[in-house]
Amino acid sequence: MSGFGFGPGNIDCDDVLRDVYLYLDDETDDVLRNRIRQHLDGCAPCLRHFGIEQDVRSLVARCCGGDQAPRSLHERIRVRITEISIETTHLEYRAE
Amino acid sequence: MPALAPERTERSVLADLRPIAPIAGNVSSKGRGLIESRTERRELSVADETVEERRARFERDALPFLDQLYAAAMRMTRNPADAEDLVQETFVKAFAAFHQFTEGTNLKAWLYRILTNTFINNYRKKQRQPQQSNSDVVEDWQLARAESHTSNGLRSAEMDALDHLPDSDVKEALQSLPEDFRLAVYLADVEGFSYKEIAEIMETPIGTVMSRLHRGRKQLQVLLADYARERGLIPSAVGGES
Repeated sequence: MSGFGFGPGNIDCDDVLRDVYLYLDDETDDVLRNRIRQHLDGCAPCLRHFGIEQDVRSLVARCCGGDQAPRSLHERIRVRITEISIETTHLEYRAE
Repeated sequence: MPALAPERTERSVLADLRPIAPIAGNVSSKGRGLIESRTERRELSVADETVEERRARFERDALPFLDQLYAAAMRMTRNPADAEDLVQETFVKAFAAFHQFTEGTNLKAWLYRILTNTFINNYRKKQRQPQQSNSDVVEDWQLARAESHTSNGLRSAEMDALDHLPDSDVKEALQSLPEDFRLAVYLADVEGFSYKEIAEIMETPIGTVMSRLHRGRKQLQVLLADYARERGLIPSAVGGES
């Protein structure tokens, strides 16, 4: 987005809303970031919309990660890695 | 998320990894040259490393990501047995390629790339089973409905209701998104990867990542609102059919 608009921050609401994810994902350059921030300071509906999007992201982050792998899986992988390294060591001995 | 900012400035993290990760598949002849020169350079420090030292380094640096990868694998495969197999296979592959991994680059993204590749190659086909009822798939008309009943999608009141959803509902909603959307949303929202990193992990252009994120998040909002309505957290008059 590059358009010059008439809203706060010299951006129109449509442009701000189109870039909501770029902004929330921290993928904008500083110029755009500042213009959006200025816009949000002066535009309650856009601010509310950004807040909702931010909340959904936080909800997903909070609820969808954090599964603990079973102890048995930790154990199994450790054993498997050890087995592979022993096999590899043997092969390297043979090669020499 | 300012904490992530420094990681994002390492622009070449994954681009560097592509040629040296054997699991990446298609290695162009151009890439092959890169592998050799990198391997040579790398050999200076890794050549002296015994297998036992490498195993210790792997345990120290890579295995701490096990729980995180398991959570991602659960969202990918949607069941614990497959998730366990997927994570184990990922670590076995990663260990086999670990002597080629350049220390100091983005290990987490490298592991996610292996995880995603392994999932796509091994499990995606297997999972083409009737795991999804049609009602789980959000149709475009539902999206249109969501966007039209309020120009801003969800309303603040609805968002407050979503906060009261049990974790399991939110997980289910994410898991019922189409796979590409689900992965993009997971990698961005849960893991905090940058667009560039997600593009490398999923092997797609950044524009595709952006559109998957956009559509995925919009669909997710529709699904979440539906769950909240089913649980009576949102009166159907508020966000319901119009």
